[in-house]
Amino acid sequence: MIGLTHYLVLSAILMVLGLAIIISKRNAIAILIGVEFILNAANLNFIAFSRHGIGGISGQTAGIFVIVLAAAEAAVALAIFLNFYHQISSIDIDRGNQLKG
Amino acid sequence: MIETILFYIFAMIMVVSGLAILVSTNIVRMAYWLIGMLLAVAGIYFLLGAYFLGVVQIIVYVGGVAVLVVFGVMLTSRQLASQLLPRAWEVVWLICVTGIFLAGLVRMILKGPWAGNVKQSPQTVAEIGRSLLGNFIGPFELASVLLLVVLLGAAYLARPRVPTLGIKK
Repeated sequence: MIGLTHYLVLSAILMVLGLAIIISKRNAIAILIGVEFILNAANLNFIAFSRHGIGGISGQTAGIFVIVLAAAEAAVALAIFLNFYHQISSIDIDRGNQLKG
Repeated sequence: MIETILFYIFAMIMVVSGLAILVSTNIVRMAYWLIGMLLAVAGIYFLLGAYFLGVVQIIVYVGGVAVLVVFGVMLTSRQLASQLLPRAWEVVWLICVTGIFLAGLVRMILKGPWAGNVKQSPQTVAEIGRSLLGNFIGPFELASVLLLVVLLGAAYLARPRVPTLGIKK
C-alpha cells in the first residue's frame, strides 16, 4: 500500500537529483533542468499532503501557482541565457564572472 | 495493487531520468530525459487524484517548458559539450553533499509522525476553481501581473542586437 511516506521519499529523491544536477553541471541550460527537478519535487509534496488530508484543497492551488512560476522562471532564464550567450559566446556559467554590459 | 505497481514504475522513470541527466554530456538528450521526468510526475499526480494538476503539468511543462528548453539548446549549443564536464573535486563534493542531504531528508521523513495520514477523496476541478477565486484571489491576480511582466521582460531580454531596418542616418 502506497502511503504519504512513499510520496515524500520519492520527492526527496527527486529534489536531491535536482541538487546534484545543479552542482555538477556547468552548462546553464542543464542547471535550469536541475531547477525544474527541484520545483517538481516541491509540487509533488504539495499534492501528496493535499491528498492525505493536510491542507485540503490549498495544496492543489499552491501546486498550480508553482507550475505558473516555474513556466515564468524558465522563460526569463532562457532569455537571460540567450543574452549571456550573445555577450561571451559560451553557455559555461563559470565564464560569467564579470558584470560589464 | 495496481496503484503500487504504477507508483514504482513512475518512480523508476523519474530516478532513471535524473541519473541519465546527471551522467549525460549531451544537452539535447538531457532535454529529452527532462520530458520523461515531467511525464512521470504527471502520472504521479494522476495516482494522487489530482487530475487537473496532471493535465496542467503535461500542457504547461511538457508542451511549454520542455519545448522552450529545446529551443534554448538549439540557440546556444555551438560549444562542444565535452568542454563543460565537471572537474574531479566537484564530483567528490557532489557525492558528499547530496548523499548526506538525502540521508537527512529520508531520516526526517521516516521518523516524523505525519498529522493526517488518511487518504481523502480526490478533489474536483470545481473546488480548485472556487479556491483560486476565493481564498487565493490575491495571489491569482498577482500571478496574472507576473505573467505579463515575464512576457515583456523575456521579449526585451532576448531581443536581437541588430539595428532596425528602415532607419538610416
